[in-house]
Amino acid sequence: MDWSWIPSNSGQILQLTGENAYLGIVPALIGLVIALPLGIAAARWNWFYPPTLTVLNIIYAIPSLALFIALIPAFGLTDTNVVIALTLYSLCVITPNVVAGLRAVPAAARQAATAMGYGPARRLLTVELPLAVPVIIAGLRVAVVSGISLASIGQLIGVSQLGYLFIDGLQRSFPTEVYVGLVLIIALAIVCDLLLVGVRRILTPWEAR
Amino acid sequence: MITFERVTKRYADGTVAVDALDLEVPAGKTMVLVGPSGCGKTTSLRMINRLVEPTEGRILVDGRDALRQDPVKLRRGIGYVIQQTGLFPHRTIEDNVATVPLLLGARRAAARGRARELLELVGLDPALGRRYPRQLSGGQQQRVGVARALAADPPVLLMDEPFSAVDPVVRASLQDELIRLQTELRKTVVLVTHDVEEAIKVGDQVALYRPHGTLAQVGEPEDLLGAPADDYVRDFVGFDRGIRRLSFFGTGDLDLDTSPVLAGDATVADAVSTGAPWVLVTADGGRPTGWVPRHRLDAAGSATALRDLAADHCEHTFTAGTDSLRAALDAAVLSPAGQAVAVDGAGKTAGVLGYEQIRAAIAARAADGARGKDR
Repeated sequence: MDWSWIPSNSGQILQLTGENAYLGIVPALIGLVIALPLGIAAARWNWFYPPTLTVLNIIYAIPSLALFIALIPAFGLTDTNVVIALTLYSLCVITPNVVAGLRAVPAAARQAATAMGYGPARRLLTVELPLAVPVIIAGLRVAVVSGISLASIGQLIGVSQLGYLFIDGLQRSFPTEVYVGLVLIIALAIVCDLLLVGVRRILTPWEAR
Repeated sequence: MITFERVTKRYADGTVAVDALDLEVPAGKTMVLVGPSGCGKTTSLRMINRLVEPTEGRILVDGRDALRQDPVKLRRGIGYVIQQTGLFPHRTIEDNVATVPLLLGARRAAARGRARELLELVGLDPALGRRYPRQLSGGQQQRVGVARALAADPPVLLMDEPFSAVDPVVRASLQDELIRLQTELRKTVVLVTHDVEEAIKVGDQVALYRPHGTLAQVGEPEDLLGAPADDYVRDFVGFDRGIRRLSFFGTGDLDLDTSPVLAGDATVADAVSTGAPWVLVTADGGRPTGWVPRHRLDAAGSATALRDLAADHCEHTFTAGTDSLRAALDAAVLSPAGQAVAVDGAGKTAGVLGYEQIRAAIAARAADGARGKDR
């Protein structure tokens, strides 16, 4: 372990960490935005859910490297390529949670809302979605953490993030770089996960602690 | 007033839940729909606010055809209480209660102020308003459910098995609360229950359903107990309907026997001279303290004060004029002397009542009831 390598390369390390955070968080957020309408539709129309789930599972089964390569003709060796691939994966993780969250809304609360004069849209926005927040955020946490970790494979198509340290450290037989990359990826995942736990607590003050 | 005119609910598979129902719920009264499960009572209730759409017939709510109104607007004018409370777990108690006023466009501060008033009205501490539903007991949640249904002051209140999920003690207090609220608010209430006791206790009118959505009898609770239309009603109301009917008989004008009632400083000789098999001893101020049997008097010296003798309990009393004949009979059954002790509103002994007098009072009231129910 060569500790002196860290301060002398701190600028590069910081940049790689930032890139990795971007590739972990942005696809998960885009995935959330797409998963919400998809999950709402699947929760409302029961027939719609099984085919949706099948398609998502097939996407999830595609190895990430293969997906990156498949997207090259359209998006080249770019960040966009990785963002799109990781968005597809996060969609697979978040959509079932949106459905599960909406299905877990107590039937009595839903019925009471209807009986008190909520229209369907207002009921969805002010009763059902807020009650589904804990389950949806649970899905978002998995998507963010796995996105941060999966992003490193983007290095194989030349998209830079902390995965660079693994390849570079391997080629130069310099383990310090590999260790630093590994620790930072795990640390980044933990920090993002804790942030999401904080967001959930702010959004759901009504939950038992 | 709510009127059902030949209302039928038939499902796609041909099941008939409600069959050509005609029913009138008078304004300001509590109508209880009671019957076995699957009899269509809940379906009838839910057709009033169109959670279920009738297949045929008309439902008028205060003279207006419910089916010709926008269901969302219709529902905002009808309070709704359900067994599982249906409170929103993510909103504070205050905001739960304020739900309908906020839907109707009230300002948040005003709606919350109104919510706190309502919490008090249903017997809750307004300080609970800041809590979330899961922090309240089942009985408290049910009261919040009632407050929420009343928040926009709707003329009509629908209650679907509102007290079935709480324990019997809490249920009784919630029923009392509903009766008290009704004397104050005079809403048109439709309440669904499978519990005949509850129907008889809270209903001004009771509609008893047969299986498959037809009515067996509609009337005042006393009619169902005193004049069941047929064997079905008789069976459903239960084998002890005679006893329960006594709840509707008052105790205002009974001939109470005061001869065996003696003060504590009276002597055994005084007690023996009454000739009664049991004497009731009272304290200063007239509160009853206990029964003394004749054999105990015979064993004591004739100058002994009654307060110095061992006495059997007399804690089960009834309040003459306020309690029903059922309470009087209950007090007699539980008394070691076989006689009910009547007290006045202040707890002072008014006299005693034996089985024979109770029997005569029942016979007289039943005859009155048969003539025309002027009780």
